[in-house]
Amino acid sequence: MMNSFFGYRRAQGLPGTRNLVAVIPSVFCANTVARRIAEHVAGAVAFCHPVGCSQVGLDLELTARGLKGLGKHPNFYGVVVVGLGCERFRPAELAESIAATGKPVEILVIQEEGDSLKAMDKGIRMASALAEQAALQAREEFPLSEFRLGLKCGGTDATSGLAANPALGWVTDQIVAAGGGAIFTEVTELIGAEHILAARATSPAVAEKILTTIGNMEKRLAAATASVAIQHRTALVSPGNEDGGVTTVVEKALGGIYKAGTSPVHGVLDYGQYPEEQGLYLLDCVGHDGEAVTGVIVSGCQAVVFTTGRGTPTGFPGVPVIKITGNNVCYDQMRYNLDFNAGAIIQGTPIAELGADLLEKVLRIASGEPARAELLGHDELFCVTRI
Amino acid sequence: MIKGLKINPRDNVAVVLAAVKAGDNVEIATAAETLILAAKEDIAFGHKIALTEVGVGRAVIKYGEEIGQAKVTIRSGEWIHLHNLDCRRGHE
Repeated sequence: MMNSFFGYRRAQGLPGTRNLVAVIPSVFCANTVARRIAEHVAGAVAFCHPVGCSQVGLDLELTARGLKGLGKHPNFYGVVVVGLGCERFRPAELAESIAATGKPVEILVIQEEGDSLKAMDKGIRMASALAEQAALQAREEFPLSEFRLGLKCGGTDATSGLAANPALGWVTDQIVAAGGGAIFTEVTELIGAEHILAARATSPAVAEKILTTIGNMEKRLAAATASVAIQHRTALVSPGNEDGGVTTVVEKALGGIYKAGTSPVHGVLDYGQYPEEQGLYLLDCVGHDGEAVTGVIVSGCQAVVFTTGRGTPTGFPGVPVIKITGNNVCYDQMRYNLDFNAGAIIQGTPIAELGADLLEKVLRIASGEPARAELLGHDELFCVTRI
Repeated sequence: MIKGLKINPRDNVAVVLAAVKAGDNVEIATAAETLILAAKEDIAFGHKIALTEVGVGRAVIKYGEEIGQAKVTIRSGEWIHLHNLDCRRGHE
């Protein structure tokens, strides 16, 4: 069994599986400047988003935690923070929190530079200098204990719970047993599985937190689906899930938790929080593909495995999102969007056999082999969560 | 013969592993026995077939857990989906 990967050493925390320059706007007003900076620099990626101002309370706090977690992420050698200047989420707060991890950070404020053209010119030079430094770094070998995998499913069908999620669960258990970490989330889709997860908690306090987290999300959903006027907007599973044989949210949950294997649940993470230790963690975030994948990444996952039955092409800038299916028909139809087929499990191939192949694929991608979503430039999944 | 998968011994449904036409026999093998069940209607790949009769309001069980309740009496061999299975979790 493959038990190491090649990554980029960082001053603090886990190594990166990619070595890019992140250009992060502190507010959406800086999006175009950030995007154009990244377009001009090989090895830079921009993270445009719709937030950073005119928000209050927890909503603004989630934006701050999400963008800070992104900037700290080990896949980014360095960061250019692009602010407008008058926004509520201060660019200096973002830059300082990233700099605390020891990585190089530049800060660019459009209103201070004069206009967007001047800001772009300066920003391109900043990002180029960082990209040049990054290019000098070589990959080094790291054990599985230095790896943290994000777990996600989307476009679920009946095969997800039978093949793709069990294969991923096997991988999760191997990583955790080797001292590594994994994070699962999609709390909107854990309803009905909370007792199973709570029974796997490492302490009564963690069990209580799991039950509270899922209970609070269920209350949120119940409030959102209560309006008589919009009863046609209350389905908790998608039409594609239904066509694929998944009837209820509980059925989806029970199939979904297979991807978290059988390991103990060490704790529940808040949005943007990096775990202090390795092991398996639940992240408090919704099931929306973009918000959930962003969530596990801004908690430090260096790669994400995304299981699908219906098929989905999406990706995340600068962090590999590895697509696997348990549906042979989906694999044939969407071959170029999918990295791995676990469908043979349904025909009787042992989960451990397919799981070992999947782990090898994950570690090869962690070591630099491009995931299909990366090859095709898919970047839809960056999506800061809101309340 | 088309196979059906009973995931947990407690389940009262199986997942059909190929599309089934009404009248087709479905073979469901478990550690204890092999059950041959005639489908009462067409069932798409991955969808659920009832292994026993499930009375109105009674639990439909998959993965060894209740996934919802029968909206009408479901007979053995019938397709189980939105028309006869309801789950109120997340709604109230």
